[in-house]
Amino acid sequence: MNFLTALAIATMFALGLFQLMRRNTIRSATGLVLLSNAVNMFLFTTGAYDGVAAAYYQAQGPVSDPLPQALVLTAIVISAGGFAFVLSLLYIIAERYKTSNSDEVEGLRN
Amino acid sequence: MPTTLIFPFILLATGLLLALAFSHPAIRPRLTSERMGWILALFPATAFITLLLAYAGKPAETPLTFSAAWIPSLGVNFSLYLDGLAALFALIITGIGTLIVIYAGHYFHGDETAWRFQAYTLLFMSAMLGVVLAGDLVTLFLFWEGTSISSFLLIGYKYKDEAARKGAFKSLFITGGGGIALLAGFAFIMVLSGGSDFATILTSREVLQASPLYPVFFGLIALGAFTKSAQVPAHIWLPEAMSAPTPASAFLHSATMVKAGVYLLARFNPVLGGNDTWFWTLSIFGFATMLTGAYLGLKQNDLKALLAYSTISQLGVLVALIGLGHDYAYKALVIGILAHALYKSSLFMSAGIIDHETGTRDLRLLGGLRKQMPILFILMLIPALSMAGLPPLFGFLAKETLLASAVYKDLSAVLTVIFPLMTVLAGAMLLAQSGLLIRGTFLGQPTDPKHPPHGHDPHWGFWLAPAIPAFLSLLVGLMPEPGFLVSILADAAKSVYGESVKVSLALWTGFNLPLGLSIAAISLGSLLFWQLARIRPILASILPNFSANNLYDATLNGIAWGAREATLLQRGQIRFYIGVMLFTTVAIFLSFGALPPLEKLQGSLSFEDLGNHFFWLRIIILLVALLGSLASVLILRDLHAILALGVSGLAVAGWMALEPAPDVALVQVVVDILATIILVLTLTIIPRKLRKKAREFTLNRTRFGVFRDAFIAFSLGLLVFVVSLASLNTRDERTNLAEAYHIDGAKTLAGAKDMVGAIVVDFRAIDTMLEIMVFAFAALGIYTLLHFTVRKAKDQETEPEEHRNPPGEPRGSFGLPTSPFLHMLAYAVLPLAVILALTQLIYGHDQPGDGFTAGVTIGLAIASWYIIFGYNATKAKLTWLNPVRLIGIGLAIALVNALLGFVFGKGFFAPVDYGAMLGISAYLPVGLVLSNAFIFEIAICVTILGASVLILDNLGHPTEADTESTALLKEIGQE
Repeated sequence: MNFLTALAIATMFALGLFQLMRRNTIRSATGLVLLSNAVNMFLFTTGAYDGVAAAYYQAQGPVSDPLPQALVLTAIVISAGGFAFVLSLLYIIAERYKTSNSDEVEGLRN
Repeated sequence: MPTTLIFPFILLATGLLLALAFSHPAIRPRLTSERMGWILALFPATAFITLLLAYAGKPAETPLTFSAAWIPSLGVNFSLYLDGLAALFALIITGIGTLIVIYAGHYFHGDETAWRFQAYTLLFMSAMLGVVLAGDLVTLFLFWEGTSISSFLLIGYKYKDEAARKGAFKSLFITGGGGIALLAGFAFIMVLSGGSDFATILTSREVLQASPLYPVFFGLIALGAFTKSAQVPAHIWLPEAMSAPTPASAFLHSATMVKAGVYLLARFNPVLGGNDTWFWTLSIFGFATMLTGAYLGLKQNDLKALLAYSTISQLGVLVALIGLGHDYAYKALVIGILAHALYKSSLFMSAGIIDHETGTRDLRLLGGLRKQMPILFILMLIPALSMAGLPPLFGFLAKETLLASAVYKDLSAVLTVIFPLMTVLAGAMLLAQSGLLIRGTFLGQPTDPKHPPHGHDPHWGFWLAPAIPAFLSLLVGLMPEPGFLVSILADAAKSVYGESVKVSLALWTGFNLPLGLSIAAISLGSLLFWQLARIRPILASILPNFSANNLYDATLNGIAWGAREATLLQRGQIRFYIGVMLFTTVAIFLSFGALPPLEKLQGSLSFEDLGNHFFWLRIIILLVALLGSLASVLILRDLHAILALGVSGLAVAGWMALEPAPDVALVQVVVDILATIILVLTLTIIPRKLRKKAREFTLNRTRFGVFRDAFIAFSLGLLVFVVSLASLNTRDERTNLAEAYHIDGAKTLAGAKDMVGAIVVDFRAIDTMLEIMVFAFAALGIYTLLHFTVRKAKDQETEPEEHRNPPGEPRGSFGLPTSPFLHMLAYAVLPLAVILALTQLIYGHDQPGDGFTAGVTIGLAIASWYIIFGYNATKAKLTWLNPVRLIGIGLAIALVNALLGFVFGKGFFAPVDYGAMLGISAYLPVGLVLSNAFIFEIAICVTILGASVLILDNLGHPTEADTESTALLKEIGQE
């Protein structure tokens, strides 16, 4: 199971990076989602695992680490905000440079 | 009282603030620069008196110290330390500083920006005082850099003048570079001696000198000191720094900043000195600088340049003296420091007056000013004679002791010949320089009789400042043994030497070798001066183009070349940058071997290690996540790819639910849906033809590019795989990152059964507060970007909105009529979403769900309205929906709620149960606790609702509805 989980995390991470390196700006944006999902899953693995009970008061049995969960919760929200902002940048690029090809965005050069 | 050491800094800071206050338009026209100078001079003058009293009042043997914790975790304190050496420098700095402030007031006569100069001067003075009073390496370094920066401001004061800018840059470049070396050297010392305070360092002589790293850190520290004190070949910045206003030159380049390096070497002499490396380095550089400065000075025609080179020469003398390492040298050192500070500051200030009154300081244009400016003639003659080393002035004494230490008996035979020879030569040249200075300015006739220089003695306030050090130069020479001065000099020499040094200020020490050498120097100098008119053309013809500036220019050109070459990597392709960064990351990881040990990766092929809970479900969910992600990459149609992405995100949410982390899973679900919706909405606003064109290179047509990117991604993926596998395999062994305080206190302290919820809204409430702010600001940023940049320009060229989206039958966001059934559904969804959100708010503390989920849930319901009714109709129907106002209200509630915790509870965000406080807990619905956590949840909900609606508003605004949405619809229809 660990093997499969790690494989899923790594694959999503690698696919996200691959997408990030595309010229098509929309594809880069989707890559960002994959990447943040993979990172969030990875953050879960940094916590302790003490059982299958959710981290609630008087849970049945030992509970898993609530701290990474709280961190991931925050991370999800913030990456969602950032993602929306990136999308608005895509729109602006399309408006100003009339392209969805990141290589054609001039102004970074020189 | 140890705080007396802080007092001078407070005084100077007050003066600085006052100088800034003088820039106020209401004050500036009413306050002449002269008066401003006199007022501001009170502060350094008081600092001088304070320091004098503090020094006089302290016990003779022990230094006065002050220490305040600064970075306790690193053992770094803000420390001050006053002993003889520090007192000598501190008194010179504040004493001459006072005169400079008065002098500058007159110098900047009628200049309304004089306050700026005074502010810089006081800033510099504080930094310089800090350097000599620091009792801790970190404190010392901080002030050291402060002097570099404030002197940069002073040299570049006339920033409209290119020479001033260049000179300022050069000095910053050289002294700043030395500062970096110094920091590195300090780091070595701190590590080796185990502390940064002087008490530790001054007792670590054995450890430091025994270290094999001694040459390294000594070299670094010497580099810092030599660049600051203008030793060859770093001396080149000092002549160019003469483009500073003369008050700054008089202060920085005679008495203070250039002496910082000397101070540093003197301070560390007891610890680092007394060995061959120290002796040879300081002697070679010191004597080389002495000769270079004396020689180059003779070539100059500019008054200030001449003075600058004689300063360089004198600095070389001081550095060499520190290297010599016997008590007589330290006597010569302290006398030399004081004598030079007195005569050189006076000469600089007088030179400034000449420049100010006649409009030039070129010796070829000046001359014959004796009759026009008699007072100034006398005032300049005294320090010039002191510089020449003639009796009965202080400078004579300085030269005598210098010669005496050059012939000191402990030196080896060769050196007892070479050192005195060089000293005599340099002394002779300095004498010739003094003569040149006086003759070129005051004696004889103007060089150009057609344009004789005009000038007259200035107002007494102007010449008072140079008069005082000039007078002191004479007085100290004449007085037999001024008691206090002797004791402070002896004390200073003792700080440098480590043992007591006998200092006497008697001019006449009998017929001895130093006196003979002195006479030789004076005779040679007189000869040189007499034949100067013949010698100078010869001097000018020797290596006219050779100087250390060539080295400096080559360095700067090299840096510029390197920068130009480096920008070749900037190809303007973001994906190329990303690729380079990722590749480098892999390379760094691999080269450091920072991988988890192999045994952590073993035994992981077993699928039974998690007790088989939801075994197949987990496998299916992970496979869905994998396939969804893969599909989002491989599917070429944007819409389908985005949907696949949404599926993979939901699978991730499912994985989180099985973790089990129900709160996170809920958030992931709503965020995933929101992200998918806004991605689709973005598709509608990006013109179709652009996307179609972009699709052609979604998977690059060149195979190589795809393989290259895939390789980079694969390598990093492999890295992540190994790390996460190791992390997963060791999960069972780890203990919770969350402390018992949080786990056990969730119910008792925060009143929440949900530990994650308790952490989010209670224990780490400020984090959450910032988190919703980030989200809200992202939304506001989108609004600003789209509303004020793109859309504004667009609205002007297109027709008014009502024409584009005619009223009447509501149309969905794809521009087509939607069915009544969907309308009904929309009307039902919104209230349901609100109820769901309320439930989450009320029970969120004990059950999965929180304010964030609640906010996004309502936002999603509104998104469905946008899709079904279209943008305009939704806006018309939901009049209460003003996203920006909602964000404002939400954040305001959050802040007020946090502050109420301060009022009723134990602090910002402290838990307060208002229900219990008001005694109405019993009447509330079961499970509802009217605590401030509950109010915070409401605030989160409102903020997030506003922000997500704002995002939807802007990304879903049908700007090109007619062309775009129909095209998208066609695209859907095709598939």
